[in-house]
Amino acid sequence: MTTNNGERKIIVMPCSGIGKVHGLIAREATYLVTDELASQRAETVCLALLVSGDEEALAKIHGAECIAIDGCPKLCAAKNVELAGGRVARSIRVVDAFKNHRGAEPGTATTLADDGWTIVREIAADIACGICS
Amino acid sequence: MSDGDIRVGIISCSGEEIPEGTISRLATRRVLELMRPGNTVTLCLPLFLAGNEAEREFASKHPTITVDGCDKLCAKKGTQKYSGPVSAALVVSELLNGDCSDCARSAKDRTEKDKEAVWLVSEEIAKAVDAILAGNGGYGSEDGEDGAACACSKPIPGIEIVLDGKPVTIAGLALIFDHLAESGLAADDSSGEKLLETVRIYHSIEPEEEEAYRAALISAYKTHRRM
Repeated sequence: MTTNNGERKIIVMPCSGIGKVHGLIAREATYLVTDELASQRAETVCLALLVSGDEEALAKIHGAECIAIDGCPKLCAAKNVELAGGRVARSIRVVDAFKNHRGAEPGTATTLADDGWTIVREIAADIACGICS
Repeated sequence: MSDGDIRVGIISCSGEEIPEGTISRLATRRVLELMRPGNTVTLCLPLFLAGNEAEREFASKHPTITVDGCDKLCAKKGTQKYSGPVSAALVVSELLNGDCSDCARSAKDRTEKDKEAVWLVSEEIAKAVDAILAGNGGYGSEDGEDGAACACSKPIPGIEIVLDGKPVTIAGLALIFDHLAESGLAADDSSGEKLLETVRIYHSIEPEEEEAYRAALISAYKTHRRM
């Protein structure tokens, strides 16, 4: 997928880990970037498709500039983007965003609370700023 | 986890590109938290595919249900490849007859259609869990201890009802009541059948207990709606 100028879109890849709220935050931050803040410049790809070796997903990632958002230290998104031949321009860890929100109650792996959405917006704004600058 | 305890693993694709991936994820979490909290665990698909030993070992030793958003079947194919045959494979796009075009990927864009889709898929997952458990002699441990090294989940709080003078807690009853209220169920004596029909999807009710449950649920529903 390319932008209106024919440039390749930047791939924002969340880990979408299902067990913890951090995975949900990664996912929602991705959507905020790809659907609103930088919709002309960014898109996402299914991580499971990528890890499964889907040719279309691999073609999107190979050589593309990627931003990985991971919810836990296993760094599934960043590692698998690299394995697929993508360039991890930034590797964001959701847990780092929590350092500015001590005592926050972000919600659950199913539903984000207000604090969780605040963190989503911060991560997304940071990513979008980098993409659009 | 002791020998004989049955835990069903549910692997959701959580595909990021399409709404069906979000629906599969939410429906899986609903089954974990609300519908079958004592008998199910979830496994993280990216970890599983990437080679996490704990996830793969669990899927090889326990019955596993895969929930895929689309016909690319990442969860099913991955599980079959690395751990063996799956006990059930659900595909969200098929369950919804392809009617997901208006559904949302993000929670902030979710509408009633998304909520109904999640309920529908979660009920199908729960049926699949029940079929597996029935084939294994019934329900397993309800102690809530998760011996598998996979993504964590905890059952959500329940509401206590009084059944023939005895307290019975039904996990997630508040969510069930909210769902029924949103669908227009009146908070009066006419709600009994619908309450009974819906709650028994998530909580075992024997035929001889129906009258008592009906009365208790009507009372609890009225109380909940007044809050």
